[in-house]
Amino acid sequence: MSRRGWAAFAGLLLAYLAARRGFFAGRGLRPNSFLVYGLERGDWFVALGFVLVAAALGYGLRRLLDETDGLRLALWTLGLAELAAYTWGLSLELASRVQPKPAFGAVFIPGGWRYVLAGYAVAVVTLFVYSWLVIKIGNRLSGRRRPVWPLFGQGLTHLLMWTLVILVYYPVLQVVSASFDPRNNLFSFRKVESSWLLVRAKVLPALDHVSWANYAKLVDGVVIYPWQWAVLLLAVLLLLAALLLAWLGRRGGEVYRVWHGRALFGFAATLFVLVVFLSPDQFTGVGTESKFLLWVRNTLLVSGSSGLLAIALTATAGYAFARFSFPGRYPTLLTFIFIQMFPGFLALVAIYYLLSWLDLLGTFTGLLLAYSGGIISFGSWVYKGYVESLGRSLEEAAYIDGATRWQAFTRIVLPLSAPMFVFIFLLQFVGTYSEFIMANLVLTGVDKWTVGLGLYSFTTGQFSTKWGLFAAASVLGSLPILLIFYGFQQYFVSGYTAGAVKE
Amino acid sequence: MKKLLMAALVLVVGLAAAAGEITVWTHFGGPELEFLKTQAQRYEKATGVKVQVVEVPFNDIKQKFILGAPQGEAADLVVTVPHDWVGEMAATGVLEPVGKYATSDYLSGLMPVAVDAFSFGGRLFGLPMNAESVALIYNKDMVKTPPATWDEFLALAQKYTTGDTFGFLYDLGNPYFNYGWFKAYGGYVFGKNADGSLNPYDLGLGGEPGYKAGQFIKDLRYKYELIPEGVDYGVADGAFKDGVLAMILNGPWALGDYKKAGLNFGIAPLPAPPGGKAWGPFVGVQGVVVNAYSNNKVAAVNFAKTLVRPENQVAFNRAGGRIPVSLAALEKLGDDPVVEGFSTTIALGDPMPNIPEMGKVWSPWGNALSLIIRDAGSNVREIIDGMAAEIMKAIKGE
Amino acid sequence: MYRHPPGLRGYVVAITLLGGALVFAFAAGSALFWVLETAAVAAGRPEGVPNWLILIASAAFLLPFLFFLARTFPFLTDWYYLLPAIVFLLVFTVYPIALTVYLAFTDYSGMRNGLPDRSTETAVVAVVGPRITLAADPVESLGCGESCVGQELELVGGGHCGRFRVVAGAGKTLTLDRAPSFEPEYAYRVNAFHFVGFKNFVFIFKNASRALWPVFVWNVVFAAFTVLSTALVGLLLGVLLNNKELKLRNLYRTLLIISWALPGVISIQMWVALLNKQFGAINRLLGLLGIYPIPWLLDPLWAKVAVLLVNLWLGFPYMMTATLGALSTIPDELYEAAKVDGASGLDAFQFITLPLLKTAFVPILLASFAFNFNNFNVIYLLTGGGPAVEGQLSTAQATDILISWAYKTAFRSEGQSAYGLGAAISLVIFVLTVGISLANFRVSGALREEGRR
Repeated sequence: MSRRGWAAFAGLLLAYLAARRGFFAGRGLRPNSFLVYGLERGDWFVALGFVLVAAALGYGLRRLLDETDGLRLALWTLGLAELAAYTWGLSLELASRVQPKPAFGAVFIPGGWRYVLAGYAVAVVTLFVYSWLVIKIGNRLSGRRRPVWPLFGQGLTHLLMWTLVILVYYPVLQVVSASFDPRNNLFSFRKVESSWLLVRAKVLPALDHVSWANYAKLVDGVVIYPWQWAVLLLAVLLLLAALLLAWLGRRGGEVYRVWHGRALFGFAATLFVLVVFLSPDQFTGVGTESKFLLWVRNTLLVSGSSGLLAIALTATAGYAFARFSFPGRYPTLLTFIFIQMFPGFLALVAIYYLLSWLDLLGTFTGLLLAYSGGIISFGSWVYKGYVESLGRSLEEAAYIDGATRWQAFTRIVLPLSAPMFVFIFLLQFVGTYSEFIMANLVLTGVDKWTVGLGLYSFTTGQFSTKWGLFAAASVLGSLPILLIFYGFQQYFVSGYTAGAVKE
Repeated sequence: MKKLLMAALVLVVGLAAAAGEITVWTHFGGPELEFLKTQAQRYEKATGVKVQVVEVPFNDIKQKFILGAPQGEAADLVVTVPHDWVGEMAATGVLEPVGKYATSDYLSGLMPVAVDAFSFGGRLFGLPMNAESVALIYNKDMVKTPPATWDEFLALAQKYTTGDTFGFLYDLGNPYFNYGWFKAYGGYVFGKNADGSLNPYDLGLGGEPGYKAGQFIKDLRYKYELIPEGVDYGVADGAFKDGVLAMILNGPWALGDYKKAGLNFGIAPLPAPPGGKAWGPFVGVQGVVVNAYSNNKVAAVNFAKTLVRPENQVAFNRAGGRIPVSLAALEKLGDDPVVEGFSTTIALGDPMPNIPEMGKVWSPWGNALSLIIRDAGSNVREIIDGMAAEIMKAIKGE
Repeated sequence: MYRHPPGLRGYVVAITLLGGALVFAFAAGSALFWVLETAAVAAGRPEGVPNWLILIASAAFLLPFLFFLARTFPFLTDWYYLLPAIVFLLVFTVYPIALTVYLAFTDYSGMRNGLPDRSTETAVVAVVGPRITLAADPVESLGCGESCVGQELELVGGGHCGRFRVVAGAGKTLTLDRAPSFEPEYAYRVNAFHFVGFKNFVFIFKNASRALWPVFVWNVVFAAFTVLSTALVGLLLGVLLNNKELKLRNLYRTLLIISWALPGVISIQMWVALLNKQFGAINRLLGLLGIYPIPWLLDPLWAKVAVLLVNLWLGFPYMMTATLGALSTIPDELYEAAKVDGASGLDAFQFITLPLLKTAFVPILLASFAFNFNNFNVIYLLTGGGPAVEGQLSTAQATDILISWAYKTAFRSEGQSAYGLGAAISLVIFVLTVGISLANFRVSGALREEGRR
């Protein structure tokens, strides 16, 4: 932008600020954006007047500054100024709603933020000095001339990352520590004596009551037969073997990869046996919470089958959309996409009556059928994108060899689709794992609950919030999903980028 | 395919339930659930009718029952429902009127308030089992004798309201806990018709009583500075369990945890607020109801009758500490201070209205309370007037 | 190979044939089911066989039928690939939606559910043909309002029950539209629900200033701000972590993904505890910094801020991962070429990274907007839609978005189980979502090439 442009920009901004100040201060109001003020108060004159003035200014500026687009300049200036004014007014409003009185039993340090800021400043300076010394000494020794900035930048990045990691994990830390506190209290009210400021301020848990009581309650009265222990051991061994083989397979070696796949399959099979043959009779504990492992099993069963069903339903459909060009393909595709936009879970009553009519209410089959509707459209769409990205050459070669379409699909496309199937499976598995609204409608009785329902019930009892149990169940209940997430991270990333997000 | 079908058929027939089975939904847990299961086994032994107990969370029972009963998907019996659901559940057709199964001897052996509570439109819809209300629960380590007047109460509460301990806390935004103050200032929810039934068009929460009660509730936070923001049920309950709270307004359901925490507590009514008459809480009665669509009504009713026998109400009290509604059972438990304390408070209170229109009151009422206590500058009159207008609008169906 | 009948004709022919096959299979399946049911009842099982056998029986007829159909109309095999998905969509998505749309035009609710009101139980003392005499005055005892004529009654007796319409009444005697075939003992009035046309929609728009308008504005702000904030943070982190020189970058990426991986029902509920004004850990932390306690979930404005912050916490790892995925597709040669041409790091970022990220990011942002527009869990679990705002419907409070408003209207006590009204709101949501998505498709061009094929 030219100098005249900048000058006009600045002038416009100053004029705007003065006008805003005059307008709102004259009325005894907090500064605000003209447009929002007009719309909120229903003062159409102000809102419309503002738009007209902006347009007129823009038109005038366009004439005045022939080398810049004046209208755009005026709109940007006024838009940014409006946004700033609104944010400023909002911040003042928010601040005015905070009462200047420290929280009950909290440690309040006036101006404490200054110390934190100072701490960060010291850290930054230290980082700079460190980088400067390292680079300079390195340069002196090696005779090269490397700049200081990259190393310093990395130091700053590390600082930022660790701050973020602490912020992100702080809530997780609270839950984990609550799971070891048997008093079942959401908050601690007793005064804590500690030489640590953070513990005294109850920002960090005091950990003076550590016990496994909450976890013990979750497995209270669970009877596991010896053969189940054996299968469990086998499953763990297979998983370890799979991990080891994956690690070995990194350096190449087709054998490792084949056996890695087999070990993983074995793991899944043993897990399946465990899940299917675990019966409600094995849970003899008194409390509702002692059925926790049963809920995990129910969830694995429902979410797992739901994921498999999702693959079965979307694979052929996605393939047809990608490869065939029959009349009606495009309208059908559109129908698939638009049906999905209906907020499906608001059709709860209808689904309830449907499942009731089919005599499937209160069964896992009913629940997983109800879940299946949600993934079909998206799954087909994603898989269609994936098949399109595969290219047709392999299939065309097969056609020349006399293969039918079905053979081309099953023998060539399907084996190549494993990553996408894993992605669709995971999507449905993760999506239904902690769902509780549909599950609550379809399933009745604690023996049938899923993890999401159980977790929800701990915090919404009539007059009792079992916070400690909730925390313990959360820690255990999120383990499968965390394992899956970390184990299959790559599939998530590639699934989202390859299928959903085509370029 | 045919083989598969036949196999499926055989499987289904094989799984067929034996004739004479009833299903019971319950929200009980722990020792109370054990009590119910024992009763079920005994009943099965005595009559040959199999009783299946299914645990359903309290908050889900009403909706699941209303949706499921006509489809044959709900239990034959629910143990128990609070009486304020009765009007809605009866009007939606899912409750069997049980008046024809109840003898007058049985009815005269109950607290009158309990029978009233389960009557709707002149018909009885459930067999009452226990009553509950909120009362002042105090920690005897901090409060020696319960305060009898407001001034004593305030002095005591303020003495303990330091940064680290609290004098008096409860769920200040919850209408259920606050009804007592409205009553003390002359308020009520619904007036009564000449025949004693509730009149939904006579709302007694607005006007002068509403203003006074609203102002008082606001004063608890901003004038007397007893209950800070952020205190909800869980906070108050937790503070009492931690032993840092002198007095709490809570019900018998919480006592199990307090015993477990090793607290030495007592129970008493709250004093009258300044310028008001006697305080008296909402009384809730819980009872056993029967599914109108049940295929096995007779067995269900019989099991319900065994459950509410006086000796079983005593056993149930021993299991979970709930307050029986049978006069004979109350007499037997007369020396229990908890039962005594709560039955005194229950006698002071009013039963919660059980007509379906009550459903249109809770949420505007709760919103009004949370608006009143949100900041010191709230306009109580305006909020109470708005609440009364909204409730009337909803009841009239506008 | 085979040829399709071209254009619209081909579409109609295929749809007709498939629809016919489905209808035929369903009819045959139902017939088979009926045979099984009768057999089961005859074999001493009064409740018969479960109804899901209809689906299996229909499938058993459908498969051979499709096989023969394919011989005559080979082009139909293309559609067979779609059939499983279509059937599932029809049964478990389209049918519930159709029923919901129908409900949107009725006054169906918990109280008007077409079932008898048990509090109107009245004993029947005499029956003569279609005329029944009751033990009490019907108008009062059955709660008919003005007159019982035209009302529907349910009569029960001897294990039977039936619905009858009252055609005339005099004193305690009512004349029904037909004579009951059994001996009735009790009569109940039925709470009928009716077709009400656009009444539910009129209610929504008449009360727009108390619900629809503020909820919609907040809904858009919520979705837009979430997308922008998560995208900014995600982009920043993605670009920083893409630096190949940075040590521990995989560790950071793995660590930071946690808030995406944790199930919402856990992480959101733990935020509720953290954000308590007096006792929550966040305000205690702020107290150490000399900031007074913030009424996070108590003040309508702060609650909105809290919702946005928590959603930022929940959503940024996804954007970070997406950024890393998009960056990994940019070949290193581009940067090397730029370096050779004498471009600085900043230039390379501005002229290579940003434009390529932009093409990859537009669809991600749009999808994220659509997702967050109906992000029920975070609202429902964090604030439940509260805190209360004066003058708004009790189902539509400060942080309610459209979908939580509809849910509370239909399924929570605040809304009195107003299923009809809830269904009407879901239709409004559907129209808005379709509108937004059409705009999205226009911007991203996702469907443009599809239309051309």
